[in-house]
Amino acid sequence: MVAAAAGLLLILWLITIPLAMAPEPIGNNAQLFADGTRVTVQLTVVSGLIGVVLGVLAALGKVSRVAPLRWVAGFYIWVMRGTPLLVQVLFVYFALPEISPWLRMSEFTAACMALALNVGAYNAEAIRAGLLAVPKGQLEAARSLGLSRWHTFIDITFPQAFKIALPPLVNNIVALLKDSSLAFTIGVVELTNAGSQVKSTSFQAVPVFIATAIIYLVLTTVMTQISDAVERRFDIEGKLG
Amino acid sequence: MSQTAALLAGEPLIRVDGVNKHFGPHHVLKDVSTHFNAGEVAVILGASGSGKSTLLRMLNRLETHDSGRIVVDGIEVSDDARQLDKLRTEVGMVFQQFNLFPHLTVLDNVALAPRRVRGLSRAEAEARAKDLLDRVGLSAHIHKHPFQLSGGQQQRVAIARSLAMQPKVLLFDEPTSALDPEMVKEVLDVMKRLAATGMTMLVVTHEMGFAREVADRVLFIDQGRVAADAPPEQFFGAQDNERIRAFLGQILH
Repeated sequence: MVAAAAGLLLILWLITIPLAMAPEPIGNNAQLFADGTRVTVQLTVVSGLIGVVLGVLAALGKVSRVAPLRWVAGFYIWVMRGTPLLVQVLFVYFALPEISPWLRMSEFTAACMALALNVGAYNAEAIRAGLLAVPKGQLEAARSLGLSRWHTFIDITFPQAFKIALPPLVNNIVALLKDSSLAFTIGVVELTNAGSQVKSTSFQAVPVFIATAIIYLVLTTVMTQISDAVERRFDIEGKLG
Repeated sequence: MSQTAALLAGEPLIRVDGVNKHFGPHHVLKDVSTHFNAGEVAVILGASGSGKSTLLRMLNRLETHDSGRIVVDGIEVSDDARQLDKLRTEVGMVFQQFNLFPHLTVLDNVALAPRRVRGLSRAEAEARAKDLLDRVGLSAHIHKHPFQLSGGQQQRVAIARSLAMQPKVLLFDEPTSALDPEMVKEVLDVMKRLAATGMTMLVVTHEMGFAREVADRVLFIDQGRVAADAPPEQFFGAQDNERIRAFLGQILH
């Protein structure tokens, strides 16, 4: 897991080198591609982390015994999954500042916020499924030992639920990495935007978009490696072989 | 302390008064009254669906009762969260399906509750856990995870886990019913040794040998009522109750 994460950092650090060695029009725009890649990864990591927290909160809301919490969580998930991400990105960036000037934010922040809100709704369903999959006997054992509701959740339910939710969560984060390209529409210079800029100056769409796609593929591959390592870390029963 | 006080006052450790329980239209327990004294080993028998597990599970509020009163060690069993947490620290439970925590090692399974509930340091809790695991014969397995153990070993860990809280009474809900025959003995042996230490135990089981040999009392639950409550020699002796004779006949073949 540490190795895979270090690999990702190394790729971000050194990506300019192979890009610079590539033929025109990639080589002479290596810096732009590298910067775009970094922004794409930043968007994914920031909104991914916030999205997991939002997902946990919304999942807890949805299984809560307090009805208003269930309604709020249900409404959030319903809206976020039922509207296009592109509309959400545009709404956060263009519409929120009109509602209140306090909600004016930079392109990057707005993109992070929209992406986090969106992935959080999908994460909530993954985590909720995990919470519901923990056998009832686990709760009974924890409660009959005198553990409080809080410790039952933190020590017993959540670790088991998270393990079950991990594969769908990773799936969501990989989708998020690709969806971060929608930040292009509000002017964030991430990888797709960088590729598009190079295309408009070089007029060579084929090599530009092949290079762009390959970089995405490398990133998602590394990400899957990290998630496999995390899954293995949690797989104390050796089910993965 | 309160247990001693209760004993001096002649008050039983557990008192069940006129308790009723329904599952939908099904009247599971009908006006059940009984009590259990400290240091007593009571075996609860009955056909499947007779309400015996329900009675046991109501004593630490894993099931609610519809009416009547249950008082354990001076604590009224109710929905009051604070009282409930206190009650559960004094009442241990061993389940048919063991319900060990699969993500924790054997040692952590046993040491967790004393740390979280009793406020013991990790070192203190682990020392207590090691001692208990030694007593149930599992010293060699403390760093394993539950899935690496046999059913009999898992149930012994579960017993150690309950004991780590130093409860005043231990409830056993069919502790050997999910075990392969060759593993039943190792669990019953641990339970017998525990009974010999003076532990208060309420055991729902089909192990007649255990009831005969260890129990101070045998309760027979039939159609939601306590149909018999007698010392084992009397219960298993000349039994004039037709339904009990039929039940024993089926169990003993």
